This record gives sequence, structure tokens and C-alpha cells, in this order.
Amino acid sequence: MVLEATMICIDNSEWMRNGDYAPSRFQAQTDAVNLICGAKTQSNPENTVGVMTMAGKGVRVLVTPTSDLGKILACMHGLEVGAEANLAAAIQVAQLALKHRQNKRQQQRIIAFIGSPVKYDKKVLETIGKKLKKNNVALDIVDFGESDDEKPEKLEALIAAVNSSDSSHIVHVPPGDNALSDVLLSTPIFTGEEGGSGFAASAAAAAATGASGFEFGVDPNVDPELALSPAALSMEEERGKARGYCKKGCRRYF
Amino acid sequence: MDAASTAAAAAAALATPAPAPAATVQVPRGQVDLIDFIDWTGVECLNQDSSHSIVNALKQSLRDDEGLFLASDSDEQLLIYIPFMQVVKLHSALFKGPEEEGPKTVKLFSNKEHMGFSNVNDYPPSDTLELSSNHLIENKPLPLKYVKFQNVRSLTIFIEDNQSGSDVSKIHKIALYGTTVDTTNMKDLKKIEEH
Repeated sequence: MVLEATMICIDNSEWMRNGDYAPSRFQAQTDAVNLICGAKTQSNPENTVGVMTMAGKGVRVLVTPTSDLGKILACMHGLEVGAEANLAAAIQVAQLALKHRQNKRQQQRIIAFIGSPVKYDKKVLETIGKKLKKNNVALDIVDFGESDDEKPEKLEALIAAVNSSDSSHIVHVPPGDNALSDVLLSTPIFTGEEGGSGFAASAAAAAATGASGFEFGVDPNVDPELALSPAALSMEEERGKARGYCKKGCRRYF
Repeated sequence: MDAASTAAAAAAALATPAPAPAATVQVPRGQVDLIDFIDWTGVECLNQDSSHSIVNALKQSLRDDEGLFLASDSDEQLLIYIPFMQVVKLHSALFKGPEEEGPKTVKLFSNKEHMGFSNVNDYPPSDTLELSSNHLIENKPLPLKYVKFQNVRSLTIFIEDNQSGSDVSKIHKIALYGTTVDTTNMKDLKKIEEH
């Protein structure tokens, strides 16, 4: 329930066209952003979230920190993918947007989705991090997409420079079956420092059962009665029919 | 004899209202330590080290403990915001710190809310103090430009650099002395005589 103003920096550079995250990196990112906005505004009604792009037409603020979820979701429509992400400028602009927030009591946070390669070297990133720490701005990084050798280290160094009493986090999401947003649900970026919010917990539970891999989402060891439900049983019958069930007592079915 | 001694005791009490541990501080005549008027919920400090925070320099028992101090984090600058519970007049300020890492240039801003390091140089300060190592160890409050601090709702203290130029600034104690602006004492109000 921390009172927070958050600026989300979206990476809409050319690298986001890649499909290694279903359906495309950019779409996965958009879903994740939507979920984060929802979680933030739910955890405290006075929280505000703003969105800006790091690439495309340039570093632009799409919506200044607001608690109106509809406005935030609407601004994500029609975003163009292209050009290169400018991380340093984006963080500066995000800082400025947070500085001019309406409610000065809110804590400042930047969430950066970094899917393209990071062209800055460690020193520059550490300077950026120190400046954020000096101005009491927390930083969360979602490292996904392109992964060259040095990118995770550079971003870890950036977080180390910003971090003060564990308020800043970094999450590395490798490409795979799980959606970007599902992976983020269990991370501190969603759950915040207290380690839980109703929205994140229930969304995490739903995602977990969906991905359990069992038919009808029920583990027969856990709940044998539910596993014997009419739905499961009729499925078994159908399978038996196809296998040549008729050999034994098939007259029933004709 | 009795009247004289009680008058002397009263004068002494007025001159040194601070409690026993800080008895060595020469509080200016007619001024009080404004610690009682600080609105603690609004006190903020930018760039402080979280394990050496602003309360170590401001709060009553913590500030006199030599082992507890306020330290800066990323670099040597500090920006301290102190709101007051009522309007005060600021007369003088006392800074205590180590000779090397103690503050050197201190800029004070009256009634400027929520300043950041980026705009701190955009406004002229209400007063600037250049502290020497002597100032940091002697217990004498430094007088401020009284005329600029007649109507203070909040005070912002900007520590620009420290004595030795090191990366970390340390402050043992910050004390502010002044008076409250006269407000109506409700007990003194007398009912207007009905005609």
C-alpha cells in the first residue's frame, strides 16, 4: 500500500518485432504493462502511473502519471515499433515527469522494459543510477528480448547503483512458453516490498492453475472427487470408444 | 535576597531553556530551541544514507549522541526539508560535525517546498553560511539574517560541500533557535462586556 507515482518506459524499438515471446515481444510487453498498471492502481487508489516510449518517434511521454486506468490503456494503442531505444534520455525524461507529479507525497518509481541491446557502458549506467538514488527515485528493470553477453551485468550494475534498502529490482526474463506477464506476476516488481497485494496474489494463482498441465486444471492426486467429475468421466468414455471399446460391452452404445 | 535569587533563576531559565545534556550550548537571549515546533511527519532528507538518517541530527536525544550522525549517500550534498507546526522566526542555527566531513557551505531557504537538487541553484538562498572547522566543534549558534526569516513555515537546508571535499558529508547535530510568531493565546481572550 505504498503511495507511489510510477513512470513506465516502454521499449518500442525495432528489436521488438521479434516473435520469441508469444505473440511478439512488443505485444507481450504491452500485456505486462497493462497488468502492472492495474496492480499499481489497485494496491493504492491514490497511486498514479504514467507511460512513455523510449524509441519509435523518440522519447515521448504518452500519458503523465494518472490514476485513470482507461487513459493509460488507451494510450498504448497505435504505438509504432521502430528505431533505437535511448535509455539515458528516457530515464531523464521519466525523472522529470515524476518530479512534476501533482501529489508530492508519492514515492517516485521508474519501471523500464529493456528488450534491445544496451549500448552504454557500465560507467555511464552507474552515473545514471547514482543520480536516481540521489533524487530518491527507485528503478525496476525488466530485462527481456535481446541478450548479449554484457547486458545482464550492465543492468545489474545499474540497479546496484540505484538501489537503496532494496527498493529497486531487476528481473531477467528468458524467452519461452510462459508469457512475459505471467513471469512478472511473482516478482517484486508486481508484489512490491510488502510481498503481496490482493491483485497480484489472485492473478498469480490463476496463472499457476492454468499452467498446471492437467486436464481440466485438476490434479487427481489433490482432488480425486473433482477428477471423477462428469466432464472427466465422459472424456474417458470417448477415449475408450475410439480405442475399440466396443469389444466388451459395446451394445450399450448402439 | 529571595526575590533577587528567584529573578536570577528565572533569567537563567529563560537564557538556557535547553535541557541538561545540551547545557554547554549558549542559546541566544530570548530565543528558544525550535525542536519542539518541528513537524516530524514532514521532515525529509534527500541523498541521506539510510542507516545514518536525518533524525540522528535533529531529534532530541539522538543529536547529542556523538556516535549517531547524518551521513550523505551518493555524493557529498544533502537537501534537508524541515516544516514547522506553526510560523516561526529563525534567529540562529547551530551545526555540529566532524572537522573533516562536516558541512562547509550551507544554504538556507525559507518557505520553499519540495526542492530538488536540480532546482536548488535556481533560487537565491535566504541565507548562506560558510562554516569553518571551528564552527563545527564550538557550541555557539551562528546568527542568520533575521530579517529574511520572519515568517518561516518551512526551512530547506542545502549542504553544498564539506570541509575536506570528501564524498561523504557527516553532521552530528543541527539545532535551530528562534521564536514563535505571536499568536492569540485563547486563555487571554476576555468576553466583551454586554452593554
